[in-house]
Amino acid sequence: MTWPFYLALRQLFPKGRVFPFFTVISVLGVALGVALLIVSTSVMGGFGHQIRQMIVDTQGEVQLRAYGLLQDPEAVLAQVEAVPGVVAATPFAEGVAMLEFARKPVFPAIQGIDLERAEAVVPLRRFVRAGSLDALDDDGVILSAPLAESLGIRLGSRVDLYSPLLLERLKGEELPMPRELEVVGIFEIGHQQLDNALALVTLRTMQELYGLGEAVHGINVKLAAGSDPDAVASRINARLADEALPVRARSWLDANEDFLFVLQLEKNMIFFLLTFIIVVSAFSVASSLLIAVVRKTREIGLLGALGARPWAVAACFCFQGFFIGLVGTGCGLGLGLTFLHFRNDVVRVFTELTGSEEVLARFYQFSQLPAHTARADLLLIIASAIVISTLAGLLPAWRAARLRPVEALRAE
Amino acid sequence: MTPTSETELPTKEKTAPVLVARDLHKTFTSGDRRLAVLRGASLSVSAGESISIRGESGAGKSTLLNLLAGLDTPDSGEVLWRSQSGSFGEPLVGGPSRLLKTRELGKLRGIIFQSFYLVPEIDALANVRLAGAICGLARGEAKARAHELLAQVGLSERTHHLPAQLSGGERQRVAIARALIAAPPLVLADEPTGNLDERTGDTIIDLLLGLCRERQTALLLVTHNPAHAAKCTRRLALHNGLFA
Repeated sequence: MTWPFYLALRQLFPKGRVFPFFTVISVLGVALGVALLIVSTSVMGGFGHQIRQMIVDTQGEVQLRAYGLLQDPEAVLAQVEAVPGVVAATPFAEGVAMLEFARKPVFPAIQGIDLERAEAVVPLRRFVRAGSLDALDDDGVILSAPLAESLGIRLGSRVDLYSPLLLERLKGEELPMPRELEVVGIFEIGHQQLDNALALVTLRTMQELYGLGEAVHGINVKLAAGSDPDAVASRINARLADEALPVRARSWLDANEDFLFVLQLEKNMIFFLLTFIIVVSAFSVASSLLIAVVRKTREIGLLGALGARPWAVAACFCFQGFFIGLVGTGCGLGLGLTFLHFRNDVVRVFTELTGSEEVLARFYQFSQLPAHTARADLLLIIASAIVISTLAGLLPAWRAARLRPVEALRAE
Repeated sequence: MTPTSETELPTKEKTAPVLVARDLHKTFTSGDRRLAVLRGASLSVSAGESISIRGESGAGKSTLLNLLAGLDTPDSGEVLWRSQSGSFGEPLVGGPSRLLKTRELGKLRGIIFQSFYLVPEIDALANVRLAGAICGLARGEAKARAHELLAQVGLSERTHHLPAQLSGGERQRVAIARALIAAPPLVLADEPTGNLDERTGDTIIDLLLGLCRERQTALLLVTHNPAHAAKCTRRLALHNGLFA
């Protein structure tokens, strides 16, 4: 251990003192900044991660949409499933219908799913809160929890479904009869917008309601783990173009590009703004070290008189900034990760105290505070905090190095 | 050997000098006032001899010591040191108005201050080892020498005490050990007993002189105490910036 390194450690942690005031305050400043940065980027990352996961869970990683209708889905499915990286694919049809229960109409989005294939792509069973996915048949419907709640629907309730096709028939002076369906399940994805008004029926029911015949609106595709969605989408498009099929595949990254960009932008802005907390704490480290330089002027003079080179004296103060950064970052990591571990307990206590549980779910879409700590974010935070703290030691170090021993020793 | 006329380098027949100072001038300016503190002081220190310098307050003793220690530069004149490895007759290092590289300086002379100036956060042993490390001694060597020196100054039982846990006399003993760790050919002591009671001061001076004699280390002692000055092999007095 070189002497500037040793002396820096000893000045920060003098023998016989467990918690030196200057060191504790400086370390605490950095630790709080790092903890706050970790918590905020992890929570922002958690929101982003959850939203991304939700998109993938409900749409698949790649989605094919037809220009109009996809008349021969089986042929396209065969082509898609042959593309390397594709694990499974499922057709879907979607639209809006009028759903009536107890003379109360609502207009939910309705999606027809292929029961044999859908589960391999979308983890529907995971979202079912009541009833069963197995009970869904051509005379059944599964409703989102908020939709069922708003209409007072329970399992076994029967609802009437009016499709746009019935309205067409009304123009032809036919007597339109609604499709009566039994509610066999209630699901909840956990995202307010997706859960708000969505009904799931079988693909066959949807094709009948919309008069699609065998046609579908698109295909959701699940990829093998580690596959690049954009690359697989390109491969699918290339294959379908060869077959002259009127379909275009888009990865979920491409289809939600603007949304994902906003998410990333928000996260970057939060990171950028909160980095200033570390910068502010670095100023406090710098001012503390400057005070130390003034307080230890004679000691600095002594080091010079003993033969210490100016750069070695400077290194001693730079090391102090480095150690403060290192220890502060370590404490901040511990503090931040501990907070993240208990975040939902903390949020629960907070919302109970302020009576804001419902507000959180309504405005922030999630009933639990999500968190996702990316390794790259963590490394960036650690590196920034240590570098900024070390830089904070530069000014005091420069000042100490400039002191002439003879003048420093004379200092009062 | 007259101090004011000592300007030639010594020959082989003479005792090898460890320090030669020639015609040192130093003036301090405060506003419009110019105060000439040194006006051509010259001095040669031979290996192993002990020299006391006395003088009134403001006579320039500390200024002279700072110049001889290489902590300050003279306005004119030169200070030459014998390097640690330099054998008899080799050219001295230094020169007019030039500060040596500080690490080199640490090996050329040890220095003892009136106010001890120990680093308060580290114990006695670490204070002595620190000086060794600064002078470039290897870790093991610095540790061994520090233990040996602290034993010689009577502090072998207090090596792990912080300066705040030591008495004034004990702190100055640590400072003596620190000054000797790099085995310099010369030790400069600036009123080392100024903050000690008379009895402790006597003990410290005896210890310092004894250690220097034993190690053939030259000693330049600035003191107000005539009894301490009398114990040195050569006694000088500084008056109006010149040796009387």
